[in-house]
Amino acid sequence: MALSVDELKEKILEKALKGPKAQLYVKDFYACDPESKPRVIKNAANELVKEGKMVFWSSGSTTMYAAKGRAKDEEK
Amino acid sequence: MSKHETPLMDELENGPWPSFVSDLKRQAEKSPQCWDIIGQMELSFKDRMTHWKHGGIVGVFGYGGGIIGRYSDVPDQFPGVAHFHTVRLNQPSSKFYRTDLLRKLCDLWEKRGSGMTNMHGSTGDLILLGTKTEELEPLFYDLTHDLQWDLGGSGSNLRTPECCVGKARCEWSCFDTQALCYGLTMKYQDEIHRPAFPYKFKIKFSGCANDCVSALARADLSVIGTWRDNIRINQAEVKNYLNGASKSGGGAIPSRADKFNIKAEVLDLCPTGCMWMEGDTLKIDDAECTRCMHCLNVMPKALRPGVEQGASIMMGAKAPILEGAQLGTMIIPFLKVDPETEFEEVVEIIEKCWDYWMEHGKNRERLGETMQRIGLPTFLRVMEIEPLPQHIKEPRSNPYVFWREEEVEGGWQRDIKEFRKKHAQ
Repeated sequence: MALSVDELKEKILEKALKGPKAQLYVKDFYACDPESKPRVIKNAANELVKEGKMVFWSSGSTTMYAAKGRAKDEEK
Repeated sequence: MSKHETPLMDELENGPWPSFVSDLKRQAEKSPQCWDIIGQMELSFKDRMTHWKHGGIVGVFGYGGGIIGRYSDVPDQFPGVAHFHTVRLNQPSSKFYRTDLLRKLCDLWEKRGSGMTNMHGSTGDLILLGTKTEELEPLFYDLTHDLQWDLGGSGSNLRTPECCVGKARCEWSCFDTQALCYGLTMKYQDEIHRPAFPYKFKIKFSGCANDCVSALARADLSVIGTWRDNIRINQAEVKNYLNGASKSGGGAIPSRADKFNIKAEVLDLCPTGCMWMEGDTLKIDDAECTRCMHCLNVMPKALRPGVEQGASIMMGAKAPILEGAQLGTMIIPFLKVDPETEFEEVVEIIEKCWDYWMEHGKNRERLGETMQRIGLPTFLRVMEIEPLPQHIKEPRSNPYVFWREEEVEGGWQRDIKEFRKKHAQ
């Protein structure tokens, strides 16, 4: 059974905080719950950004996610 | 007065054509950071490398697109462009602007940024070039509250949808491109403003195969107007072209206007050779016509699109990224585009393709690259579309589409001895 949104957010944040990579593609979060649809996972990750726990890092052509404080050049 | 010595940049002011360097110098009188742009470009010319670093976490609250971070890697030399972020604005459909709104926008951009614009980027957006991080939120507030203007898409978002002038000004448009573009822009606000995909996704709408927004070359999903009945022919007007009363191409090319030759300009250039003359009467074998628009462009008074109009849907176009450039692949040859149903036919196709691509597309892989990787037969199956003759680009160039066992009566079971009796070795 798919995780609830809160459980999903918790898993996503854990991966963003503790994973070896600081910046992650949205697809990297799909493994947090193989039962959830990609769109549900994307919405959960975007909600974490809205809550200020994660940030978007955009190159202009691609957007990645990072836990707040872990993104490249975040001091800027 | 120039802040930096820029002999190489100054060279770009020579010649009869307009120069962006002259524009920058003029703008620098109002926005002094423009001197630093010219100075940094001069340094890039000398060093033969860019001094821009792009990318970052800059944005406005609630949005995950529309702002692209840009920084100078030599900020001590050029402090005016230490931060020089790009802002993308969602252009109005068909790029119809009110001049008073453009003036207000330019005033606002001179207050909050460099004053430099790019009308328009390849996705179609209106691009504002160069501002500081601390100006982003005030700029966004003024844009949305005073001008009712929203940001466009960037990054792994749905990019700002773009359309041609459509039925507003063009008699060839086979569907209301503005209505579809506006309708889908409003429907997919979340996808435009927040990243949703493995990579960028562009949708463009052209009313006919002249494709004035280059949908076929750029868009992951292009909706291009077409018709499925016959080209409407006005034989009296055909005669006017033949006797010189009407000018080729509406007189658009003066050197050709007085010397119309229907054989050289129309019949011999028809890509399928489906047109011929019987005396003064023009004949078309519409079953062979690919709706390329060439004959309509040359003889606009005599020929018009048919009355049963709709659109073709192509997918997978892109500029060179991981692989080379690709034009869109024909997926649906004809589809009715109906505002009464809120374009549900188009929406269904878009979302089916997104669902698959979000799950199976690799990171930084455009839809066209996914299609190439999995093959057209698999992609058609994903889209639940039966293979059609129109999917064949030309004989033996596309991958073959094979029957599957469940599509064949009796499956693959057969009596090999019985088979060999009929097919002796």
